[in-house]
Amino acid sequence: MLELADLHTYYGNIRALRGLSLSVERGEIVTLIGGNGAGKTTTLRTILGLVRPRRGSVTFNGTRVDTLATDRIVRLGVAQSPEGRHIFPRMSVLENLELGAFARRDRDGIAPDLERVLSLFPRLRERLTQKGGTLSGGEQQMLAISRALMARPELLLLDEPSMGLSPILVETIFRIIQDINRQGTTILLVEQNARMALRVAHRGYVIQTGRIVLHDAAAALLRSDLVRKTYLGEK
Amino acid sequence: MNSRLGAAVLAVVLVAYPFVDQAVGLHTVHAVSDGMIYMLLALGLNIVVGYAGLLDLGYAAFFAIGAYAMGLLNSPVLGSPLYGHAWSFWLCIWVAAAVSALLGLVIGAPTLRVRGDYLAIITLGFGEIIPVAIRNLGDVTIEIGGWRPIERLNLTGGENGVNPVGRPYLPGVPFETDPVPWYFLILIIGAASVWAMTRLRDSRLGRAWMAIREDETAADCTGVNPVSTKLLAFALGASFSGFAGSVYAAKLQAITPGAFEFQVSIMLLCMVVLGGAGSIRGVVLGAMLITVFDRVILSQTTFLVRGIGRTLGVPALVSLDLTLWRWFFFGLGLVLVMLLRPQGLAGRRVQPLAGADVDEAAALDAAPPRVEAIPRWLREQIATGPVAQADALLDVRGLTKAFGGVVALNAVDLVVPRGGIIGLIGPNGAGKTTFFNVVTGLIRPDAGRLTFAGASLVGLRPNAIVARGIARTFQSIRLFQYMTVLDNVLVGEHCRLEARVAGAVLRPPRVRAEEARARERARSLLTFVGLSGKEDELARNLPYGDQRRLEIARALATEPRLLLLDEPTAGMNPRESHTLTDLIGLLRRELSLSILLIEHDMQVVMRISDRITVLDYGTRIAEGTPTEIQRHPRVIEAYLGTGAPQEPVVPGV
Repeated sequence: MLELADLHTYYGNIRALRGLSLSVERGEIVTLIGGNGAGKTTTLRTILGLVRPRRGSVTFNGTRVDTLATDRIVRLGVAQSPEGRHIFPRMSVLENLELGAFARRDRDGIAPDLERVLSLFPRLRERLTQKGGTLSGGEQQMLAISRALMARPELLLLDEPSMGLSPILVETIFRIIQDINRQGTTILLVEQNARMALRVAHRGYVIQTGRIVLHDAAAALLRSDLVRKTYLGEK
Repeated sequence: MNSRLGAAVLAVVLVAYPFVDQAVGLHTVHAVSDGMIYMLLALGLNIVVGYAGLLDLGYAAFFAIGAYAMGLLNSPVLGSPLYGHAWSFWLCIWVAAAVSALLGLVIGAPTLRVRGDYLAIITLGFGEIIPVAIRNLGDVTIEIGGWRPIERLNLTGGENGVNPVGRPYLPGVPFETDPVPWYFLILIIGAASVWAMTRLRDSRLGRAWMAIREDETAADCTGVNPVSTKLLAFALGASFSGFAGSVYAAKLQAITPGAFEFQVSIMLLCMVVLGGAGSIRGVVLGAMLITVFDRVILSQTTFLVRGIGRTLGVPALVSLDLTLWRWFFFGLGLVLVMLLRPQGLAGRRVQPLAGADVDEAAALDAAPPRVEAIPRWLREQIATGPVAQADALLDVRGLTKAFGGVVALNAVDLVVPRGGIIGLIGPNGAGKTTFFNVVTGLIRPDAGRLTFAGASLVGLRPNAIVARGIARTFQSIRLFQYMTVLDNVLVGEHCRLEARVAGAVLRPPRVRAEEARARERARSLLTFVGLSGKEDELARNLPYGDQRRLEIARALATEPRLLLLDEPTAGMNPRESHTLTDLIGLLRRELSLSILLIEHDMQVVMRISDRITVLDYGTRIAEGTPTEIQRHPRVIEAYLGTGAPQEPVVPGV
């Protein structure tokens, strides 16, 4: 479904991605784990066309998308919940969610989806009329994920969805990620919480300095020495 | 060495220019002198717009005030009661600068709470008010009953303006007949201004302005007083234009209200933006380009085009006057700069330093913090601080805050003992960050007591609270993005430094020593948190984990007794979290720094906290040791969930 081949992405002189390749098949949860500055967020930004690769290609459902504008890529069925949330602070929670569905054509599907995300996150239902900017950090995180879901994407990109959430909510979020996936959404998950990410994912990639250094089934990665030492904090 | 050579060449060119001009017979000295006055104005505006980030659309008003201050003191035409005293030109330029600065304060004061669009609109209004007032103050009569205390007083010359204005007098220097002395007078004033501005920029004050520009809230919480800092920017910016205005008036020998209209403000803004806001070199370049274009290129091109028109016999070209199109070209230039080079021709650096390839394997193995790396000065400052004695360093009782109908904090009690680490946990939206915001003065509580080292904090501004010894980090990192790593830490030291305007410009030995010490301290802090070698990188170009560490270094630079950390390990992998936890433990153990910690990573909280307070819907639902909290049924239900670490984490660092 998604194919990244030999991506080289630069910020000025800094090489952020150095020949990164990975693929996501329909129906999968694939996780990308790695340290800070390894290029995880850059990978997502490259997929969405927010930065352009100098070399390499991004293919989505057989279409080259690395030259398309971001809004075109979103219309093709990719949605992201960005790291750092980026919600619309002066619009209400409801308006934020409605904007998530902005590019959709199936108007009838929107109301049931709104109901679905609100039942996933009852906290948001309590705050529907509040301005996005007045939500607490964790609530904004829920809103960002919900807004991405409202686009009913084929492929959902999640950048650190568990960041800033309480332990009970982290569990909930990962359960929701599995639910969404079972309902047919393919997911590319970027996480610092490698343990949780690898528990829900089918496959995983380990990224270091802009390259994939390890790639395997999630269960196998959980047992690998590199992952256990570096990303799970085991001695 | 190269830059020194360049400066020498520039000096020679500037000194030789008027003589070359006269020898060749170009007659451009007047125009160049006028251009330099505009350059001076643009540099003053750069303090307000480029450094402090306050968009001022009415800056020409201060230019007018400087010019008319000169007129009032030094022109026989006006009915000023001040005229006729022995006001020499040399005294008047200082008076004019002082009057402008004073008006800068008056205008600045009501606009301090507003920013961005609102500030621009207010200054726009002010820029319109001044020329109108000048036009209408040419004939003032005040009549109370039959008594006329003021009759037909001419304050400004009205529409006709002021003519003549007293010239400067220096024995043997022909200011009356020769443009060259004017050129050198303005050159000296301009060079002195550039020198003063460069020093201001690289001082404690310049850093404070830029911090305000980058993030006013973060600056406030780092100990920079936004009110006085912004006022100072306004006043200093205005005083430079006061100088420029008074010299302009005396040089032209005539002031008319038309010279200070809105368009002048816009042209000055064009110079700043074209060259690059915040860069002295850029602003000088921008002012030069626009002046040369306006005074030379437009008129010369017009002659050229007319000549071509005559030769070819095209009447449309013969009657063309490109100077009438000047605003068209200014506008077009601005559009192009914004599209092609938004930071200006010589603007601030935004790209990462070249070749900064990060070796991630090394970064992951970042050395754990070492006791020996703790800067000695920090140890001394904090250990000998005035508040080292109190037992309960922070004592919060019955703290309550409601937003509309939502009670964010409901009678919360919390005590941080000296040298203690207190965890503050709770579900998302429970009011943890609001608690931090109240303690740091960003939000005023509705009720409750807040005592720090025996004194109440209620009603203090955030920067005053920092000065008392409380520093914080933010949940979503709030660094000064377009400042260097080193400058970010230096802003942290702001409230412990003393240099003021005169000190920053003149740099007496005391200020030099203070600044050198501050830099040394900042470097040692950066080494301590593991950021040495990255001093000159822009904060925004650091990877995420480094940004978190930089925020902590900045907080430590304020020499706090109490450190509030809002989710410091969010977005870090277990290894990085572990290193940071070690760092926090080290700070407590070695500096007996007290720490209040919001954190969702239970491995971190349980390992490091002495006691934990749990909030839910703004109410404290539990308080106790980590072991007690882990077993607390309400905490498990509301927060931990059943999947929390089953194996109890052993507390204690």
